[in-house]
Amino acid sequence: MATSNQIVFSGTDASDETSLLDILDHVLNAGVIIRGNLVISLAGVDLVYVGLDVILTSIETTRQYMQGKALPPTKKR
Amino acid sequence: MAARVKPNSGKVIYLYGVTRKLVTPVPKVPAVDGAAGVEALGCADLICWITRVDRSEYADNLSANMENLDWLAEASVRHQRVVAAIAAETEILPARFGTVFLSEASLEADIQSKKKTLDRDLRKIKDSDEWGVKVFGVQPKVELPRAGARTGKDYLKAKAALLQRRPTKGTDADLIRFEEELKRVAVETAVGGKISSGQRGLQWQTSLLLRRDDRKRFEALLKKFSKEWADVRQIEATGPWPPYSFVSRDDGKQETGT
Repeated sequence: MATSNQIVFSGTDASDETSLLDILDHVLNAGVIIRGNLVISLAGVDLVYVGLDVILTSIETTRQYMQGKALPPTKKR
Repeated sequence: MAARVKPNSGKVIYLYGVTRKLVTPVPKVPAVDGAAGVEALGCADLICWITRVDRSEYADNLSANMENLDWLAEASVRHQRVVAAIAAETEILPARFGTVFLSEASLEADIQSKKKTLDRDLRKIKDSDEWGVKVFGVQPKVELPRAGARTGKDYLKAKAALLQRRPTKGTDADLIRFEEELKRVAVETAVGGKISSGQRGLQWQTSLLLRRDDRKRFEALLKKFSKEWADVRQIEATGPWPPYSFVSRDDGKQETGT
């Protein structure tokens, strides 16, 4: 929702491409990390957390994608 | 609170975040996988918000799936919707996308090990929301050459000259002043996200932790600068977000802008 020509307020749902970018920024780039990078196959360690390297790769992939074209629209199941 | 997930079963526990209070009824929103339900699980005197998801999709193949942008877009939007639904009822420390445990015991053990930090963060975010603020340079309007151009070459030259015009720039001092005034309204600020940093025309961005009582002051500040920057810059604010950017990282540190 826009309140004037020069200021734009928008919500946090992915109703447009900008919101989807912001959502990816928040859910991939921030939030509590309960524990660091662990490998699930290690005996006695039963936590899986997607490692920082995967997060960074995912962010970079998304950035590269954005430079070429818009993010794909979300599909409804 | 439902049955335990046994290690090595076909299901794993996907964590959305941690709250102090139990919200009843549990918000009826689609889970991260679009199928299973959202559950509240007591752990270390806190409430963990989880969904039992397919192990193959969310553990064994999670890295590969996160490289699939169709999959990532759908799942991350659902993650955010669940966190937002809980945040509408009580303070939540949102977990980063892709936090998955193989058992309730390991989840509880990890929460227990971070209890002090989580308690501190829960106190910090009380009665607050996160807001994102971006400042874009306004692109000058490009008008095509009028019929005065005699040849195609003249037309293209004139058009190229117009397209090479740069956006009107305000001074960096204005942005610094804006940042300082935002910091006075906010509890904390944090650096903006990396993915949207490539947006065209983006000059500056930040995330703020803002007390709900201060929202009018925040809006008034945005309006003041938007008026001042009328033809120079546009301000975009998104929110309210759950406080993703204001929770401590694994080492207890936070990427703060204050």
